[in-house]
Amino acid sequence: MSETVLAIEQLTVYRDNYAAVQDVSFSLTAGTDTAVVGPNGAGKSTLIQAILGIFPRQKGQIFVLGQPLSQQGKLTAEVRQSIAYLPQNFPFDRRIPMTVAEFVGLGWDRLGLQLPWAGRKPRRKAVREALSRVEAWHLCHQPISSLSGGEIKRVLLAYCLVRPRRLLILDEAPAGLDVRGESEFYQLLYELKQEQGWAILQVSHDLDMVRRHCDRALCLNQTLRCQGTPEVALSSSNLSLTYGSEFVPYHHTCRDY
Amino acid sequence: MSIATELSRALELFEFPFMQRALIGGVFTGLTGGLLGSFTILRQLSFFSDALGHSALLGISFAFLLGLNPSAIILPFAVIFALVVMFLLERTHLWTDALLNIIYSSSLAVALIVLSFVGQYKGGINHLLFGDILAIRNADLILSAVLFCLCTAFIGLTLRTQMLLTINEPMAIARGVPVATYRTIFIVLLALLVGVSIKAIGVLLVSAFIVIPACAARLLSRTFTHHIVASAGLGAISAILGILLSALFNLPSGPSIVVMQLAIFCLAIVVPTAQRLAL
Repeated sequence: MSETVLAIEQLTVYRDNYAAVQDVSFSLTAGTDTAVVGPNGAGKSTLIQAILGIFPRQKGQIFVLGQPLSQQGKLTAEVRQSIAYLPQNFPFDRRIPMTVAEFVGLGWDRLGLQLPWAGRKPRRKAVREALSRVEAWHLCHQPISSLSGGEIKRVLLAYCLVRPRRLLILDEAPAGLDVRGESEFYQLLYELKQEQGWAILQVSHDLDMVRRHCDRALCLNQTLRCQGTPEVALSSSNLSLTYGSEFVPYHHTCRDY
Repeated sequence: MSIATELSRALELFEFPFMQRALIGGVFTGLTGGLLGSFTILRQLSFFSDALGHSALLGISFAFLLGLNPSAIILPFAVIFALVVMFLLERTHLWTDALLNIIYSSSLAVALIVLSFVGQYKGGINHLLFGDILAIRNADLILSAVLFCLCTAFIGLTLRTQMLLTINEPMAIARGVPVATYRTIFIVLLALLVGVSIKAIGVLLVSAFIVIPACAARLLSRTFTHHIVASAGLGAISAILGILLSALFNLPSGPSIVVMQLAIFCLAIVVPTAQRLAL
């Protein structure tokens, strides 16, 4: 049986005096891809932020690789290193001078007190390997401000890949990409999932993508309305339960004229 | 008189201990200002340093009012003031620049009113506004050197964390970085720099030491680490050239250093453009 990477037990998170997430429980095993779906304001990003320790929780337990996340959001450095997080849109100030190699190198470092030149050679080697794996080695010396949306996503994946991880958390990571860019991003992500054995937890609005690529779906609207394989969790009745009875799933079809 | 004679006369001035202290003090302030300035501009805290500078005048004026030594008051006052400002920025829903504007203009107004009560207004205001680097004592130099070492150790040992924190704060939090602690330490160091530098540079020009070399270095740097090193280096170089300029033409030292910082900033705009045109 695969190892449990993430376990959530009866999690409740308040935002501005209302329960954004209430009594949510689920677990993730290694090598699986789980999507969190739900309408806007359903608490998806709050759930992700609580798991990462960005947002405090009011009730419940979060275990990462068997280790409990403290109320202050603390985990041991080793467990922290095994988590990678890709925020929505990756907002950053484009005037900040930073090359792709410098940024990816930050994913390799154990953050904390260290001499600035510590681990220079192994960092450089890991950065080269990670960038080569996502076919972005040619961008190594470029400033990150000059990258296109698709290139930034590749570089972000290299940031995750530069050190062995166990859990990858994505908050609508492909947002801002065109159809082709999104398809390439997911292709690369699933190749890496197979190679690295990552457990992936991702927030998504793209139900077709969830059906195609994910092993499991969690339907969230403040509480967990249903969970299971995409076929079960994304059935019409479950989607109505999550998005409201007026929700009509629309599937694109191509017709030849 | 030829330029060579003038230069020789200016250099002879550096045989005097007060000029040597001014030079060393200027270099330390330039280095520390550039070092912290690189992060200050990238995190868009330039206005914050300006507000701290103005608040220092408030601290000094209260020291005069209470009959205390301003040098003893200025450091704790700057640190407490910085922490209060940071608290207000986090807790109010106002725009950062608007709130800082309220803080620094009202600090200045209250300080001037207090100074008018204690009779220091007429005699001492220029000294407070523009400082006097030639009046630096050995104790001030030691303080500047200690602060430089503290800042270098903090930035050096936490460089990778600081870089991630600057580029994307949520990613740093997700990696377990105690963001509030790092932010507070940085703000305290910035407040100490302002407090230590006031005597030499004055409340109006202190933020120039933090902002101008860092902006010049940004124009010349492609990588984060080069930016930090270049910013500190340009801070020190402009201090040396500024004091030399002041000795050459008998100009006030603080403003001379800022003029040199401006000259370097202008060069930093022109040089890369000229290089691109030449290619």
